[in-house]
Amino acid sequence: MKDDELREFDALGLDREIAAPSHMQQRWHDSIDLAAQREQTELRRSGRAFNFMSFFWGAAVTTALAIGIGIGVFLTGGPESIEPNEYVVQDRAGVFGRVLQVHLRDTQDDIASMPIDTPEDRTTLVLQIIQQNRLFEQAAERNDADSVARVLRAFEPILLKLAATDIAPQDAAALREQLAFELKVMLTKLERDTSKEITST
Amino acid sequence: MHTRLKLIFVVLATFATASLNAQDGNSASDKEELQRIALEALIHVPEERALPAVMKLLEGDGSDELKESALFVLSQMDHPDASTALLSYARTGSGDAQIKAIRMIGINGDETVLAALPEIYASGDDDVREAVLEAYLIADNVDGVFTIAMNATDEDDYEEAVQILAVMDAHEQLAQLREAKGASDALVQAYIISDNHTELELLARDSSNPDVQVEAIQALGVVDGPNAEVVLLDIYKASADEDVREAALQGLFIGDHGQSVLELYRASSNAKEKGELLEMLVIMDSDLAMEVIDQALAGDQ
Repeated sequence: MKDDELREFDALGLDREIAAPSHMQQRWHDSIDLAAQREQTELRRSGRAFNFMSFFWGAAVTTALAIGIGIGVFLTGGPESIEPNEYVVQDRAGVFGRVLQVHLRDTQDDIASMPIDTPEDRTTLVLQIIQQNRLFEQAAERNDADSVARVLRAFEPILLKLAATDIAPQDAAALREQLAFELKVMLTKLERDTSKEITST
Repeated sequence: MHTRLKLIFVVLATFATASLNAQDGNSASDKEELQRIALEALIHVPEERALPAVMKLLEGDGSDELKESALFVLSQMDHPDASTALLSYARTGSGDAQIKAIRMIGINGDETVLAALPEIYASGDDDVREAVLEAYLIADNVDGVFTIAMNATDEDDYEEAVQILAVMDAHEQLAQLREAKGASDALVQAYIISDNHTELELLARDSSNPDVQVEAIQALGVVDGPNAEVVLLDIYKASADEDVREAALQGLFIGDHGQSVLELYRASSNAKEKGELLEMLVIMDSDLAMEVIDQALAGDQ
């Protein structure tokens, strides 16, 4: 990984010591690519003239971040030459918001396809979601997104209940439904805020 | 503005459709599904307009699940009336509705409303008290949990609050609790959860409460911090208490510190103790065991 990519990752405040399975690496890569694509689409939709170079740098930052997250998460120790938080991502809140939206959509998909009648499969999936949720909760804290951090923290007790193998299927279904709703509302709110930002620029 | 008006229209139309569908005899779940969609759409509507619609739903005869969703939408509003409404449900609600409202207060994070939680905690049952602690956890409000722990007179309440502090990594507050309330099993558990080797070492060396000391020594073996081996070895050598020595040995065993067990074996002049230590080395499947066995068979000490 390049130094500037590591700096991007550090600046976002994600914890590199949190281990994650390989499919999550791929998911993060995909997530950031999607975020970049969506950003591009939003800008096109808005019909506004925009500074091409500004967008280019935004996309470059996003792509670098993708590599930073995808690879950096698995590092147990960073190069000594890198000073954490020395490098500041431009539009850090915006980048975080977009990455978070993609993550929430992926979680929505996971929740929707969650097996209710096979507790072991459900537990495995939910534990993976919990791991990612913690990662994004930490990132939210470090990016001063307190309201996002609170909602992500609130998901965890529900997820832990869902991870239990002795929960009745109807209770699991009810929890899944509530979680899906809360995810949807959160996403709607984030999209609303992003849309407002684009309109106001 | 035009978009907002359109959204308001869509939301109102959805509520109306849900109502008509119910009258037409469609299933209640269809009605609720539409109401949920409308609730979600309210996020786009100015809060002063959305609030009455959410309140109407909360006061209606919808299911608990639908009302929980409505409470969540309230929690996502910045309007002071939304947090006041959450507080009202947390105070006057009963059963599951009250628990959910307390959770939403945590999600909402309004400090003035969070300040009312101690009163709800004091008058609530076990479930309510647990929900209040969870709300503080969600809101990342360490002070609220710390105050509950400091004022707790019931052992279970104290234990739960201490566990939440551990999850929140509130090291400073846990240290204050140890000073104010003394060592306890609850604190040992908390230090395990928060991976706090320093405090565990302090408790492991503190012989003022032998039961807690033994718990802490065993925990030190499980957590196995950077100084655990040295501390366990020190404790074993320094203590005359059988239980303490056994706990220290168990800690060394759990931490797989064969070299220290060998050191104790070599330093011991007590045949019974030597036998026990040798047994432990064998169980640990340490290469050191064969070395010791050879020496013992050869008649060396």
